[in-house]
Amino acid sequence: MTVMNQEALTSPIGNKKPRALGLLLDIRKNKLLYVMLLPVLLYYTVFHYAPMYGAIIAFKDYSPRLGILGSDWVGFEHFETFFTGAYFWRTIKNTILISFYELIFGFPAPVILALLLNEVKHSLFKRTVQTVTYMPHFISLVVICGIVKDFTSREGIINDLMAWFGAERSTFLLEPEFFRTVYVSSGIWQHIGWGTIIYLAALTGIDPEQYEAARMDGAGRWKQMLHVTIPGIMPTIVILLILETGRMMNVGFEKIILLYNPGTYETADVVSSYVYRVGLQDFNYSFSSAVGLFNSAVNFTLLVFSNWLSRKLNDTSLW
Amino acid sequence: MGKRSKNKSIGVAVSVVLASTSLLAACTSTKDGGTASPKPSATPAAEAGKYPVSTTETLTSWEQINTNLTTFVPNLADSPFGKQLEKETGIKVKYSHPADGQSKEQFNLLIASNNLTDVIEYDWNNSYPGGPEKAVSDKVIVPLNELIDKHAPNLKKLLQQDKELDKMLKTDSGKYYVFPMIRPDNGLVFRGPMIRKDWLDELQLPVPTTIDEWYTVLKAFKEKKNASAPFTAQYTNELNIQDAFIGAFKTANRYYIDDQGKVKYGPIDPQFKDALTLLRKWYQEGLIDRDFALNTDSKSLDNKMLSSASGATVGLLSGGMGRWMDSGKKQDPKFQLVAAPYPTLKKGERAFIGQRDFKFNPAASKAVTAAAKNPELAVKWLDYAYSEKGALLFNFGIEGESYTMENGKPTFADKITKDPKYNLQQMVSQYTKPNGPFLGDSRKSFNTYKEQDEAIQIWEQTDAGKHVMPMFITPTVEESKEVAKINTAISSYKEEMFVKFIMGKEPIDKFDEYVQRIKTMGSDKVVKIYQDAYDRYNKR
Repeated sequence: MTVMNQEALTSPIGNKKPRALGLLLDIRKNKLLYVMLLPVLLYYTVFHYAPMYGAIIAFKDYSPRLGILGSDWVGFEHFETFFTGAYFWRTIKNTILISFYELIFGFPAPVILALLLNEVKHSLFKRTVQTVTYMPHFISLVVICGIVKDFTSREGIINDLMAWFGAERSTFLLEPEFFRTVYVSSGIWQHIGWGTIIYLAALTGIDPEQYEAARMDGAGRWKQMLHVTIPGIMPTIVILLILETGRMMNVGFEKIILLYNPGTYETADVVSSYVYRVGLQDFNYSFSSAVGLFNSAVNFTLLVFSNWLSRKLNDTSLW
Repeated sequence: MGKRSKNKSIGVAVSVVLASTSLLAACTSTKDGGTASPKPSATPAAEAGKYPVSTTETLTSWEQINTNLTTFVPNLADSPFGKQLEKETGIKVKYSHPADGQSKEQFNLLIASNNLTDVIEYDWNNSYPGGPEKAVSDKVIVPLNELIDKHAPNLKKLLQQDKELDKMLKTDSGKYYVFPMIRPDNGLVFRGPMIRKDWLDELQLPVPTTIDEWYTVLKAFKEKKNASAPFTAQYTNELNIQDAFIGAFKTANRYYIDDQGKVKYGPIDPQFKDALTLLRKWYQEGLIDRDFALNTDSKSLDNKMLSSASGATVGLLSGGMGRWMDSGKKQDPKFQLVAAPYPTLKKGERAFIGQRDFKFNPAASKAVTAAAKNPELAVKWLDYAYSEKGALLFNFGIEGESYTMENGKPTFADKITKDPKYNLQQMVSQYTKPNGPFLGDSRKSFNTYKEQDEAIQIWEQTDAGKHVMPMFITPTVEESKEVAKINTAISSYKEEMFVKFIMGKEPIDKFDEYVQRIKTMGSDKVVKIYQDAYDRYNKR
């Protein structure tokens, strides 16, 4: 949707006319299109841009009773507290590492599953696998974390399996070194099926003639996948990857909070969970919005950077 | 909100109106928010202390609902208690309840969004940043001195009779800010170590009183009874073994007051290292629940206590001991839990610290907010709980229905105590308010087992009265801010290291480094602030 609108907006710029004039002409030409754009613009203004003014409390000593405008200015004090605080580097490191692992292991997982499913010809089997794998996506996070806790507990199924192979039982959620593994792998388990949907959709868009041509040239199943299927869904993969990079710093705090404990803070405490503990639980709104603002700035930079990189490398980009 | 109607008349699209009014409301509320003063009530003020009050107004109250009650009704107003209270006071109240386990977040949101109800029942001392003084100066709640004086004769009488209570309820500057939950004398001690007596008997061991005896017992539980976690406890940021085993080393797992009347931060005491060394040793030998840091809810604790994985814990009197006895005896008639005294290092010593609460329980006290349209009415409603009739309702429920008077002593009716389906706690929750601002009655007892009565007497034998820091000292606004800033970092770090030291993930030699770090984080400043506030409290 946004991609199309972007094109509609930018196409006249290519002409020699000055920008504003070009836009006006375009509006006259495509009145209905712009009317359809209105609700979207309104939605973003009301729900995404208007609340942004609240971000100024990051520079204030916010007190609910005085309100956003009435509170005193304190400049960059909250940012300083965060940057010089004891947990700055640790939370940043944990956030980046968890995101990074999610990107490395979590991102390709649905692609691989989609490719595998694409090769399956038995439709009942294919449908069953799809249903089973995307089921966990609909379970509430609280329940998911309960399941994860049960599975990884000392008497849980994973320990049962490991004990069967002769390994010693341990409680994974109490071991800092296992936290990221548990976090990322449970994430894959929960979202892999859901993630495949978009790739399977992209797969149906590949022209069957390409496969025929490849077969004529003597390509086997493997070569077909390598030279037809993967290039066919590459633009989708790249777009999703760029979007994913833009969320690098946004490790969901709900799941972290449901799974961590003081014993695993060392590897589990991310920026958002730290903000939650300090901000919402201890009422430090200004401080937490300062951290949140910083976080968004990093995200924004990453998004712009990866978009630029992708445009340089293979001509696919968000804008 | 007055701006809303004007904007509507402009007649733009609905969403635009919504957007702009919410912005306007956000801007304007800051202006008139500060000056909003309670308007005099429209209904003529009835004579103080006379019930039912005749009024057409409805009060709003935000308070936690007892989880036992939610088995029956979702809202306090629908319970027999709520209906009876309305009938007796003549005042209709609309209650809103936070979801179970989320009261802290929802309280914070309530304050942040400035959508205050007339009265709010919460821990105004420890949960509002800056404490009661700040809450009053922020114009979130109103000082009650004048209101109590004029419209709350029952509480006023209590305060005049009980100077100690009066001291607890005031801030340093002399402001009353809540209607208090007042505990009866026998309600001050309700948590302590408990142990499986049937196991002890089988192993021919006495109830342990010292650390060494505990060691022998836990070891026997592990080896002879195959307990996988001989000692367990619920872990909620303060491992509940806090008072028990750490106290034996004459320190505490938090701020406490030493024998000289000085405030100290226990976790950096040199003795604390000894306590940690002990717990670490027990942990390594498998005497302490290996998964203790994951026992954040009561469910896992229940499982361990009832599945014979554990034979000892530190827990609550009725919510723990009573409940486990109920369920345990169903599985095994021999199941028996008894209280063990707070352990000491030497035999015959008196325990340094233990659980002991104060008469005033700030956690379940109600404040009147600055948003209350008719604070006098709210105060009248609240004061009912301290009258003779009101206290009976809050403690025992409805006469003839939930209790009967026998020789002038209220006794719960069979309907309550012998329900085939629900336990005592659940039944009682429908007719009374188990926690809340009212005058507790020492005649009320939930103990169904003689072991529980004995437990109170055993757990009482500590010097906790001297060493527990009152939760209602009132640092100034500036001091509170400072404390809030420092304490979050300290407690987060302390908790992490505490778990790591016990689990052996951090060598105990690092203790000095850990102490140093906590000091750099500013623990001395907090100690000083608490000391000053405590001294002021003593001088009130």
